[in-house]
Amino acid sequence: MSIGAAKLDAISDSELIISLQAGSLEALGVLYDRHRGLVFRTAIAITGDSEAAADLLHDVFLRLHRFAAHVDPCRPLEPWLYRMTTNLAYTWVKRRQRWLRPLEDVADWLAGTHKDTPAYQAEMDDSWQQVQQAISSLPLSHRGVVVLYYVNDLSLQEISEILDIPVGTVKSRLHYGRQGLKHSLGILAGEIFPEMRYEFT
Amino acid sequence: MDKKSDALLRRMIKNWVNRQRPPDNGRERLLWEAAHGSRNKIDLTVLLFRPQIKSYPFSNSNDISQTLTAWINENSFHLGIQARLS
Repeated sequence: MSIGAAKLDAISDSELIISLQAGSLEALGVLYDRHRGLVFRTAIAITGDSEAAADLLHDVFLRLHRFAAHVDPCRPLEPWLYRMTTNLAYTWVKRRQRWLRPLEDVADWLAGTHKDTPAYQAEMDDSWQQVQQAISSLPLSHRGVVVLYYVNDLSLQEISEILDIPVGTVKSRLHYGRQGLKHSLGILAGEIFPEMRYEFT
Repeated sequence: MDKKSDALLRRMIKNWVNRQRPPDNGRERLLWEAAHGSRNKIDLTVLLFRPQIKSYPFSNSNDISQTLTAWINENSFHLGIQARLS
């Protein structure tokens, strides 16, 4: 099957998946251009690491290519992408917690006064860094729900189907995730948006 | 949490996430790897369950490894792969 790139841009995801199943790499490229923002944003929000998010973005679309035959072209592609992205991001975070965190702690200990340096303090004072840390400090299960809800604007029902958990569980995780973020960012809210200082209570 | 606070939280998180950009060379890297990966992908079940292997008789464990090596050497050209056994 050979379809021109310009024509591919105009056709639906469903038709692109059928082309991909027939071996069209052009279709993969168009799907990548169309959905890379969605995948990258989700990945970086869960991992908090831009390099990891770039790798996950690559892996998700490589898997889409590899497992194209198992993707149902009659159904929307976004839920499949969200599911794959969250699963791979969860795996990355768990692996990192298991292997790299202890090494980073040792590195920090060896560095000694690293956390007292002006550069480190400047980095930590960055408001955006604190937003990232607030999200990263959430338990992984809460983090996934919070990201899908706030970053991707998905409904509770959609999140329930993507993560394959009951709606009640989604609600519960979202509630505790919100509480965690509110606690972490409560003071910060006044610094980022001074006009909203009293609204974030 | 009231709607106003929820909207603020959403805005803060989105503002942070939207500052991040995916890599520019991601598309080329993906297509290159997809093209090369599919060409060199080896389905090991082919080695184990391909019917032709039945034409090689073996009676002990040494024969099995020798038979497998012979089979790979004979079929690597057709599979489009370079088989190296050390």
